[in-house]
Amino acid sequence: MINILTYLFSGAVQSGTSVLYGVYGEILSERVGVINLGLEGSMVMGAFGAYAATAQTGSPLLGVLAGMLLGGLLALIHAYLVIARKANQLATGLTLMFLGLGITAFFGRGYVSASIGGGLSAIKIPLLSDIPVIGGLFEQDILTYLSYLLGPALWFLLFKTRFGMLLRGTGESEEVVYAYGLNPKRMRYIGVVMGGMLAGLGGAQLSIAYTKTWIEGMTNGRGVIAVALVILATWQPLKAYIGAYIFGGAQSLQLVLQQQGYDVSPFLLLMLPYLLTLIALFIVSRRKRQVMPAELKKIVESSVSS
Amino acid sequence: MTALAKKLPADWWKNALVWAGVIAVPIVAFGLFLQTQGVNAIQTYGTMISSTLGTSYGIGEVVVKSTPLVLIAVATAVSAKAGLVNVGGEGQFAIGALAAAAAGMLLLQDVPGIIGIPCMALAGIAGGMLWSGVAGVLKVKANMNETITTLILNYIAVQVVSYFVYGPLKDPDSFNWPQTARISSQLRLPSLGGGRVSIGIFFAVGLAVILWLVLKKTKWGYKLRVIGGNPIAAAQAGYHVAKNQLIAMLVSGGLAGFAGMLEICGVEYQMRQTTGTNYGYLGFLAAWMAWNNPLLGIVTAFIIGFLSVAGNTMEITSGLPSSSIRILMSIVLLAILWKGRRKKA
Repeated sequence: MINILTYLFSGAVQSGTSVLYGVYGEILSERVGVINLGLEGSMVMGAFGAYAATAQTGSPLLGVLAGMLLGGLLALIHAYLVIARKANQLATGLTLMFLGLGITAFFGRGYVSASIGGGLSAIKIPLLSDIPVIGGLFEQDILTYLSYLLGPALWFLLFKTRFGMLLRGTGESEEVVYAYGLNPKRMRYIGVVMGGMLAGLGGAQLSIAYTKTWIEGMTNGRGVIAVALVILATWQPLKAYIGAYIFGGAQSLQLVLQQQGYDVSPFLLLMLPYLLTLIALFIVSRRKRQVMPAELKKIVESSVSS
Repeated sequence: MTALAKKLPADWWKNALVWAGVIAVPIVAFGLFLQTQGVNAIQTYGTMISSTLGTSYGIGEVVVKSTPLVLIAVATAVSAKAGLVNVGGEGQFAIGALAAAAAGMLLLQDVPGIIGIPCMALAGIAGGMLWSGVAGVLKVKANMNETITTLILNYIAVQVVSYFVYGPLKDPDSFNWPQTARISSQLRLPSLGGGRVSIGIFFAVGLAVILWLVLKKTKWGYKLRVIGGNPIAAAQAGYHVAKNQLIAMLVSGGLAGFAGMLEICGVEYQMRQTTGTNYGYLGFLAAWMAWNNPLLGIVTAFIIGFLSVAGNTMEITSGLPSSSIRILMSIVLLAILWKGRRKKA
């Protein structure tokens, strides 16, 4: 039983980390008032870029950088179109999701059977990894450790620094940012592109640390789920873990049940993460949503006509 | 004609030129990209056009592909008029198709077509409505963003379909392929000229015209537009915003589900795991390109249908994967997004 729990927790983290990066990324993007459905595209670009670069160079570090770069690049297109050209955010995001999936399917053909060696392997943290049940959380890859720390780090950035205050200000009221003599457009670019880079990191974790494979469309909605989970996290980096690990936990549960030989349809189990996300969103929906950044509210409410 | 000319701004030709550029630039850019991949772009474009629009088989394939896209574009437009972004055409189509196929193979196997086909249509519509209804209820009762919920429901629908085509509805004679048995022949829609094109296209185009009229000319259409334009003002004017948004969502899902039924009765005759993959997203983009006008949606759905079919022939003729067409399609869309909607004169 203890073994199963250990496995479940560790699996939840492994599978949830890519989503966690996505949630962080989308929080930054939405904090500056931009919904980025193209996050799915950024994530799959990150997964592919990391895998391809690692296979080519043999260096997972270069892989991670490539993943971040590609994820950020796609987000930059989103930023340009919605900020400079005032394009519809949802349609642009959806198109970029499509573009990301298309580009990676195109260039990914040659990498389906490419080897990345060990990829990013797990690093055991002495003492902590010996704790029963939760010890598995400290036998993870470097990107997972980074994701543990990123929550508080982003919280500090957003709420305790001047830069973060201006980022948030961009999503709440542009006038404030102008008052500080800064250009809110630039802050928006920064938020969106940083968000895409984080999603790219999440993709990298998925391909070179967790699964160590490249499969076309392997993100399978994780970016979309991340966008949904931002609501559950109420735009707070410190709450990003909740949704990401619920999603990861459901994925992990599915593997555990299968290994234990329970006769449950794999398809019903594969449905579970998405279903749980929906239920989680339903539960928080009962609370009033005054926490949504004001500029974002405008976008959400006018998304059809714009 | 004179009325039309009056409506056009004086510099309309400038606008036309910009739009031509918006379409041409991505096509040229994609051509250059093909060249870097060692593929002759001009030849490829040539085959794309000649293989689709140059043969009656090719035109037929474009019509087959466009039929569901027209309906999903209309579905998207109906909800959009009520201020809702329904990105769930994918799931609503799949569940509609599944329901229609299930009804066809389990209940209607020996029923004459004149009764069986309408019953399958009802099953398809009900399936689509069920899927959009969930998102609709969550929207009006729990104020959950319908864009997010419809997207998540798409992923759930994929698993529901897989569950049934691998499990309870799997054809025992299918050699383990994930697909249902085929529906009996009297339940299939008559084809046009014996090819793959069924009379389904008439239903799709007909419904697009009807919905255009409904949205434009009826009181309900007007109501929806007011609600979509400003829900708060609409509520103050005494409109039942929640009720009408839910109805719009149900109509939208019903249309997508009906498209799924047409795919089963007119094209595939069985449900497969991959039936209708990406149709929902393509239909949404068709609607968006048409600014949610159902009539324009017919045109944009055909353009996207043409590109999809051309993508498949590209795979055969130049060895490029069919995903390349997704790249071309997205950059054309990005160019349109870049240009943005022209201000009404």
